[in-house]
Amino acid sequence: MEPREAARLLAQTQADARRSLDFRAPWVSLVAAVVALASFGIVWLNVRTQHPFTGPSPVSLVCFYALIALRIATVIYAYARARTGVSGQSVKVQRNEAAVMGAALLACYLLLIAIATGAQHSAGFYWSLYLNGTLIALAAIWAGRSAIHKSWQQTALAVPVALIATVGAIAGPRGMWLVNGVGLCALLLANAAIGTSRRRGGTRTHTVRAGA
Amino acid sequence: MSAEALDPLIHVPARLQIVAALAALPDGDQLSFKRLQDMIELTPGNLITHLRKLEEAGYLTTSKTGSGPASRTSVALTHDGRHALETYATTLRGLLNGV
Repeated sequence: MEPREAARLLAQTQADARRSLDFRAPWVSLVAAVVALASFGIVWLNVRTQHPFTGPSPVSLVCFYALIALRIATVIYAYARARTGVSGQSVKVQRNEAAVMGAALLACYLLLIAIATGAQHSAGFYWSLYLNGTLIALAAIWAGRSAIHKSWQQTALAVPVALIATVGAIAGPRGMWLVNGVGLCALLLANAAIGTSRRRGGTRTHTVRAGA
Repeated sequence: MSAEALDPLIHVPARLQIVAALAALPDGDQLSFKRLQDMIELTPGNLITHLRKLEEAGYLTTSKTGSGPASRTSVALTHDGRHALETYATTLRGLLNGV
């Protein structure tokens, strides 16, 4: 085998293997962007003309959570597909992290439900607390975890999520749905574009190096 | 530097693909025989032959869990195997830069 051919084969195999084993594919981000825009958008369309403290209708919330469930299902599918046949330390770590995130999500909801039921305030106000509080908490946990692992791309994704959720909380019970939907959609689209360009760029760099 | 400087054990298309695919996993992770076969598209017999050669050299380890039809063979790159691939890639880069 010629060295040039060996370099091309090495680069191609490494790029294909990384792509195949990585569940954070650009299409997952793309689906998430559409889900973010559609789910928050449906509720925003419902609440935009009503009194700020009325809160979203049950139908719009069912649509919202159905789309969130779709998002979770796509992540589980992508993860299962990418990690089939893989075992060992990193799988255990990822499962533990998923359990921590799940527990954090549950804790956020329980805490916010306790706050809401303990006070006499309107539903719309507490919907903004539930969602944005949860988003900020989960994004902060994810940013911290990514920083510990020196996964800067994930940190760069988690920090803006927390910022968008903060701006959303400031925007109020009606504006938050629009801010979250548009903000998260734009962020996830940018993430998908960066992921696609990195994958293409990585293969091109290897090919150029191999053909040098 | 000539092509003879390249590790002859890795400098075979099928074995280079095996080592490169396993190196994409984090340290301490294993890949099932079936998944590895799907990734590099080798026949089971061919893959076993190459895996055996790499295992004999200490570049990878194989482990079998379960028994009968439910048994599963997993393959992992050793530290020696990872180091050998790094050395191979460095030598290859040197060769190409010298061309």
